[in-house]
Amino acid sequence: MKIVVGLKQVPETTNVKINEKTKNIDRRGVSGVINKYDRNALQTALDIRDVVGGTVIAMSMGPNDFAVSLQEALSLGADEAVLLSDRAFGGADTLATGYVLAEAIKKIGGVDLVIMGQQSVDADTGQMGPIVAEMLGISQVTYADEIQPKSDNELRIKRYDDNIEQEIIAKTPLMLTTTGNAGKPEYVNVVEIKNSFEKPLTTWTSKDMPVDSNRLGQSGSPTVVRRIMSPEPKERAGKMLSTDATKAAEELAGILHEENLLAEED
Amino acid sequence: MDQLKTREEILLRMVKSFTENEVAPFDSEIDQTRSYVNNLLEKVHDAGFYSLVTPEEYGGAGFDGRTSAKVLNILAKGNASIAVTLEGHYKSVEQIVKYGNDKLKAKYLPQSADRIIAFPMTEPTGGSNPMGINSHAEKHGDSWIINGDKIMITNGGLAEIYCAMVKTAPTELSFFVVDQDMDGFEFGKQEKFLGLTGCPIGEILMDNIEVDEYHLLGKVGMGPEIGNSAHDDARVLMGAVLTGIMEHQLDIVSEYATQRKAMDTPIIELQTIQRKVADMTIAKETTKLLYQQAAIMKDSGQDYEQEAAMAKAHGSRAAVKSGDDALQILGGYGYSLEYPVEHLIRDARAMELAEGSVEKMRTEIALIEAKSRV
Amino acid sequence: MTDIRENWIFAEKSINKINSATFQLITKMKSISEIPVTVVLLESQADSFENEIKQYGPDKILTVKDDELDKADDVSVASALSGLIDKFGTPISFIFAATTFGRSVAPRLQAKLLTGLTADCLDLSFEDDLLVQTKPSYGDNIMCEIVIPDFKPQMATVRPNIFKAEKVFDDTTKIVEINDLNWDKDANIQITTHVLPAKTDENLATADRIVALGRGGKQDLNNANELANKINATVGVTRPLTDMDEFDQSQQIGQSGETVAPDLLINLGVSGSVQFTAGIENANTIVSVNTDKHAPIFKQSDYCFNGSSEDFLKALNKVL
Repeated sequence: MKIVVGLKQVPETTNVKINEKTKNIDRRGVSGVINKYDRNALQTALDIRDVVGGTVIAMSMGPNDFAVSLQEALSLGADEAVLLSDRAFGGADTLATGYVLAEAIKKIGGVDLVIMGQQSVDADTGQMGPIVAEMLGISQVTYADEIQPKSDNELRIKRYDDNIEQEIIAKTPLMLTTTGNAGKPEYVNVVEIKNSFEKPLTTWTSKDMPVDSNRLGQSGSPTVVRRIMSPEPKERAGKMLSTDATKAAEELAGILHEENLLAEED
Repeated sequence: MDQLKTREEILLRMVKSFTENEVAPFDSEIDQTRSYVNNLLEKVHDAGFYSLVTPEEYGGAGFDGRTSAKVLNILAKGNASIAVTLEGHYKSVEQIVKYGNDKLKAKYLPQSADRIIAFPMTEPTGGSNPMGINSHAEKHGDSWIINGDKIMITNGGLAEIYCAMVKTAPTELSFFVVDQDMDGFEFGKQEKFLGLTGCPIGEILMDNIEVDEYHLLGKVGMGPEIGNSAHDDARVLMGAVLTGIMEHQLDIVSEYATQRKAMDTPIIELQTIQRKVADMTIAKETTKLLYQQAAIMKDSGQDYEQEAAMAKAHGSRAAVKSGDDALQILGGYGYSLEYPVEHLIRDARAMELAEGSVEKMRTEIALIEAKSRV
Repeated sequence: MTDIRENWIFAEKSINKINSATFQLITKMKSISEIPVTVVLLESQADSFENEIKQYGPDKILTVKDDELDKADDVSVASALSGLIDKFGTPISFIFAATTFGRSVAPRLQAKLLTGLTADCLDLSFEDDLLVQTKPSYGDNIMCEIVIPDFKPQMATVRPNIFKAEKVFDDTTKIVEINDLNWDKDANIQITTHVLPAKTDENLATADRIVALGRGGKQDLNNANELANKINATVGVTRPLTDMDEFDQSQQIGQSGETVAPDLLINLGVSGSVQFTAGIENANTIVSVNTDKHAPIFKQSDYCFNGSSEDFLKALNKVL
């Protein structure tokens, strides 16, 4: 199977704050790591390859320093890596990013399976898998928990849609997105890091793919982030209920019903 | 892409995540059970940590002194014992690399990926005074017969290969590499130490062990030089371990002092607390600068003996003091065995003794300094 | 394609009923905009969920009766929704609940329509026809205000249980039944479903409701268990109580225990040490009962009862 794994480099901690002066996210001293769900995606790809054979290609779109994460993926066992990097890609939202990823996957050609993490821990959108799947015109299974190859072109997948357990038999070509339960990500082996430099890591710019420049970067992005804010600190009102237990219980029961706090989740 | 920089970044990412997931959650349990619970050693081995400083031509990763020190700094923030276990291994590997003949290197360096190597010097009659030791080796034709007992060995009992210091003449010290598979090799008792309790400390007994000539590290009589070199390498790494301990203390204290309130004010707003946190921060940062400076000098081939000694002498006292400040800030919680602060003091305290006492180190620092100025 | 002045909401079903998030979205969209609200419902011939939906007063329900679409996969549903837009025109907005299903289908549709989508919104408002979407990122550490100025429909998925659903009593909802929708079935996916028993999960970290006992509430374990059963809550304790035989470490809330984020947390005789409150910051609503009116826990609570937890529990168990 030819498998492409989408990887995003994200800040190592999501515990970030807004800089009061610049009104931007303060990322001082925060270094990058591979998005944790993408580690599950990569491991899933490696596990499938180890059973049915084939190639795992790690792919990421971003600035040049994202190459470190691709090199890490190679150290973890990916066979090849492609970095999609171009100033023209900058400022892309999910749609414009999905477009470039889809075009790159088309350029690779003959891809049976694309795997991505269920969402990135920084943007938290979870849109990339379905967008790229639609643009490639392939089927999708999102939030996959367990994945097993059934044959050369079929996977058996377990996932949960709230409290419905689903077992899915999916034929390739296919897009999978993985939860934190899929695959068991391993640690990079200290010695393997240097060996990974013998594997190919290629960079493609907008010139390497037949892309429509209007669909790239900011100009290809329908969404506009108008403002970023710190979340309002939770203030607790500390409202005192009646000092009479029976009255207090009635008051509380009313509040709980009114605020829908006793409703069963679906 | 700067390949060396990228290699280091990938490595440090792994070490951070390994520490967070496999080491830090078990810190107190390791301390209390005196063992590397949850298969920690197996995981450390499987991730290739044993091969970190072993040269590439012997199947290792060949990372330099600066990087290996950073690795131990990160690991020690999770648990100092495991970092000291690796420190003992790395300094031993480095002496085999530096002083071993080709045949010795070809035999033991590939094994360093799977077997821990230790560096026993101390005996009941001598440690900081090496001439006081009784172990000795006698030449018989092409081989040497080694006899004697070594005590208080870092990783003693866990390590499988030992670079042992022995006398080859009444006033002549030399090192030989022996391993647990040799006839006449036996393990002695295990120590129960106050701190770094996860790291085994034990004895080996050498009873007529016969080794080929190539097991001699360096040349006959090079004992003092090799011993000093091992000390220097260990001290750089200990500076890193101590930095990790202080970072751990600062994490605990920062979280507590920003949440704990006195009269509605988080106690971090109080100057008495701020003074302690500031002192702890300065102590951590100065130790970090010292060990990194020593490592950079080591990697660039300069003399780093004085810097290494300063990293350990300053860092060990600083970490004990910093631990005491942390305990005081946490009050009863700091004094409780349920919180890790108390064991961080015990851990740091070990490093005022190991690899040369702080007193001995001050002598070295003073003599180097004075001689360089006259 | 023509534009229509409507806001669309996708009606999500889960196991033979409409997901309550759909009702919450109807109420919310009606309250922030004058633009008519249309609910899109895919159901089997035998079902009539429109009757349930119309109690929340949408202006219109587009009901696609198709047995095959009823439990279809993401690709088929996205195709059907795109078919509806072809048929009726492009609405101003198209809103989904940020459930597993909503978060899978909405971006697929977004890519078909080449428009913008904001995932997992916590708030929505309108500036004329512009939908202002507030979404968290960096694990809720940052809030972003996002708009889609030049594309329609403006799409969003919205986190369930942020808004309150309100029934209305005027019956003016127009129901449009569609029986001839064209859509592409995804033949590559075969789904076998298996409905799990209702949550038996005793895991504190993921519990929706928690009853927490502190030193001052430990004698009320029976009453507390009764309350927990009534409201389907998990029981948690403060650190000192883990020494009791009835409890173990896994039930401890706080710094050295679990960090919890329930919708509702009821603290009984919990004083409110930092070690405990550090673990409850993400709870939605906190109710605390304590005999000490100066107990620090009251400052961390939304509702407080100063008195005996025994009396309070008995009274509450009676009324619930």
